[in-house]
Amino acid sequence: MSQKSTSREETIIEKAKSRFPEYIKETKIDNNRRVTISFDKDHVQEIAKWMRDDIGFDHLKGIAGVDYPTHKKLEVLYLAGSFSKPEIQDIIVTLKAELPKDAPTISSVVSIWESAHFHEREAFEMFGINFEGHPDLRKLLTLDNWDGPPPMLKDIKFPEMGQR
Amino acid sequence: MFLGEMYEGIKHIFKRTFTMKYPYQKLLLPKGFRGRHLLYMDKCTGCGICAWICPERCISMVPVTNDKEYPQNPEKRFPQYWYARCCFCHFCTDYCPTGALDYTPDYELAEYDRDLLLWSPERLSRPTTHIGEYQSVIHDNQGVTYEPVPKTK
Amino acid sequence: MTANPPTPTIASNEAKEPSTMDVSVGPQHPGSGHVRLLMRVDGDYIVSIDPDIGYVHRGCEKIAEYRNYVSNIPHLERPCIIDAIHLNWAYVLPVEELQGVIVPPRGQYISTIAAEMNRIMSHLYWLAINAGVFSGHTTIFMWAFGDRDLFIELAEWLTGARLTYSFLPPGGPRRDFPSGFEQKLAKLLDYFEKRLVEYDRMFLSNPLVVARAKGIGVLKKKDAIKLGVTGPVLRGSGVEYDVRKVEPYGAYADLEFQIPTFKEGDSYSRYLVRFEEMKQSISIIRQALNKMPKGPIARKAPLVAPEGEAIGRVESSRGEITVMVIGDNSDKPYRVKIMNGSFRNLIALPYLIRNVHVADMPIIYGSLDYWPVEADR
Repeated sequence: MSQKSTSREETIIEKAKSRFPEYIKETKIDNNRRVTISFDKDHVQEIAKWMRDDIGFDHLKGIAGVDYPTHKKLEVLYLAGSFSKPEIQDIIVTLKAELPKDAPTISSVVSIWESAHFHEREAFEMFGINFEGHPDLRKLLTLDNWDGPPPMLKDIKFPEMGQR
Repeated sequence: MFLGEMYEGIKHIFKRTFTMKYPYQKLLLPKGFRGRHLLYMDKCTGCGICAWICPERCISMVPVTNDKEYPQNPEKRFPQYWYARCCFCHFCTDYCPTGALDYTPDYELAEYDRDLLLWSPERLSRPTTHIGEYQSVIHDNQGVTYEPVPKTK
Repeated sequence: MTANPPTPTIASNEAKEPSTMDVSVGPQHPGSGHVRLLMRVDGDYIVSIDPDIGYVHRGCEKIAEYRNYVSNIPHLERPCIIDAIHLNWAYVLPVEELQGVIVPPRGQYISTIAAEMNRIMSHLYWLAINAGVFSGHTTIFMWAFGDRDLFIELAEWLTGARLTYSFLPPGGPRRDFPSGFEQKLAKLLDYFEKRLVEYDRMFLSNPLVVARAKGIGVLKKKDAIKLGVTGPVLRGSGVEYDVRKVEPYGAYADLEFQIPTFKEGDSYSRYLVRFEEMKQSISIIRQALNKMPKGPIARKAPLVAPEGEAIGRVESSRGEITVMVIGDNSDKPYRVKIMNGSFRNLIALPYLIRNVHVADMPIIYGSLDYWPVEADR
């Protein structure tokens, strides 16, 4: 009987599940080359360090925040890629963490992925997510004296631009 | 020392100049150039798809009061364009189901009064007034110039 | 909002030395967009630099949630308008993946040719302003802008507009080649190839340019990987990574080209990467013109996108643009996140401009090809 060969994406998910069985909540593979791993937000630094050292995802392409007001949660998405390992260069791994809307705090990954510096500053000012341990968390893109609510949340609406 | 650069610089003194003396010489624009819009009032049915697709929301459908009858548009609703907001993407022209909108090479739309930038449907149906007669020509080893377009008989 | 903005300072953790002075470079528009750099200077040496960006921030991603998928195209191609086809394509790739639309082969070839023309145009703009005017070389500014205008006239013939193309809605390009376009493009490429030899003699081999750029702003290979930079900055430091080879899109899987990589990591090797990329673009366009298939150019795409997430990426002239689109079964996207080359390369600016002369700052800034409007969105 022939063995069913596992693809690279399934290998990554199996290794992640065997290393952190209790922190990983769900995984998904979309259209090959896109892996999504949802994890528990308190252990982001351990998972990030393991991703960088053992699997080889050595840089972050970006950090995105998504607001789901109906579920009262904020999601933080870390998009990681690899420059140094040619066999996984075309895979993008999306690490998802869920934060409650009233206490959006998560540890910073700047000590592991230095490319996260400016991305975390932007997520902080656009969504109000507090990254603990960031060396220089201040506003990046909005006005210096803006003290209103974080602009990208879905509560801020612009009725003159039409229905949403 | 700087011989290569000086040779290049001196060689260019004897090449032709790449200048077009606008507004006395104007460029001949290609056929699908995205300038202001041309409305064919005998084809428009007033469906409003142009107003829906417009990214800047600068088109609004207004009733037109004149003596003519439009059998395909009984309510006489036609688009009016606010050119202060238009980004000239011409998605309205491509998405119109009856082909009532067209391209023109008019780009000199500046006005002294801001209210004149709101074009009514009748003003949109006037034909184009732009005449362009020059085009760029590449000469081998002599540079690039703007020359009059040869008139075809 | 409070009445008076607080006085900006450099937020560095070390205490301010008494011999240093804070100089504000800007807010000004160095040929590309509004940016401000706060420099801490000790005599002729720059101790540290703090980029104060956000002067051109418009809330692109927020506005994109209020427009439907087709109306978003003129809006989302404006951040880097001199490279509009790549931004347009990077937004449309995930939308097509969500909707399940496949572009026919002739449409892929037309998009590829338009994208490579746009890469040449963007590199000519970089050569004129960021490499030419910032180092005082105004001759190459005039020459590069003159040749760029010939490419712009061809793009105007193909799409109808000089810079703001809006050429690729979901499903494929809007127009086919007009008759006579391929011959005129081939003639322009022959002319431009000879001009690149003249540019080499006038600019790249110029002892002044070599003296100002060689050995300045060295970014080593492991630092480039750690900082996550992208585009010619990455390839000028020895990492061979190009999205057109890693994850081919469009017609790149059928075409042969090389990725210029240089290992020194200084500003001069970043100049050389962009020069060689222009030569490779000429070869790609010639191969694509020879291999053009026949057939339809586009397919009809639905107006709504189902629920789900999709990520697409392209290699633009400033780096890799990654776009994530989240759909929610309506005709407007729920979230659009754009990660582009200028924002990812921003971290190299305070990293490279440390303990250098004040006169080296424009050279390093120009070699990174930072486009403020793209970084701020």
